[in-house]
Amino acid sequence: MKRVYLFCSAGMSTSMLASKMQGVAQDHGLPIEVEAFSDGKIGQIIEERHPDVILLGPQVKFRYQEIVNQYGSTGIPIAVIDQSAYGMMDGEKVLKMAVKMMKEAKKS
Amino acid sequence: MVEGLEMICFQIISNVGTARSNYIEAIHRAKERDFEGAQQCLEAGQAEFLKGHDAHFELLQKEAKGMPVVGSLILIHAEDQLMSAEGFKIIAEEMIAGYRQMEALEKRLEQLEK
Repeated sequence: MKRVYLFCSAGMSTSMLASKMQGVAQDHGLPIEVEAFSDGKIGQIIEERHPDVILLGPQVKFRYQEIVNQYGSTGIPIAVIDQSAYGMMDGEKVLKMAVKMMKEAKKS
Repeated sequence: MVEGLEMICFQIISNVGTARSNYIEAIHRAKERDFEGAQQCLEAGQAEFLKGHDAHFELLQKEAKGMPVVGSLILIHAEDQLMSAEGFKIIAEEMIAGYRQMEALEKRLEQLEK
């Protein structure tokens, strides 16, 4: 099971996007678990649950560089969710991005 | 795909959330004395904020015209994000002004120490 974890400031809107993504993954029979958390828990979640992809909500884009500096060495791919995909709640588009990130991380 | 009110709420959250992030980034830039970058972040934030504000304003107009918008937690969350972004804009502008004054003082101090 691959773990795609989303982080934003409250974890509320992201959790709705996460459930859309989970639905798309289930429809396609993909072994992917999508969950959302508050960005304050990022360190704890990385340590305890070892995500395969970290996606940040546009609300916490300003923390991207700091998070990459701190956790980039874990090798977990980190990205900010495309703002228009987020606004449209496009679970499929965001899930595709996560899958692409996992493939690229595997190559390197 | 998501329909109606939920969709509008998400657009608001996406726009004002990005705006809030831009305002915070503006403060970070000013802290590094990159005032041009800070100004760009403020402007980018404002453009996003207006989009979210317009979407919210439309909902208000609708209700004012007698078409009640049924409340939901996600709408409250969208409004909460909107208020937070609005507040951060004022904070960012004030802090940038403070960093500018600090820089002016630093320069004067440098002159004096020469």
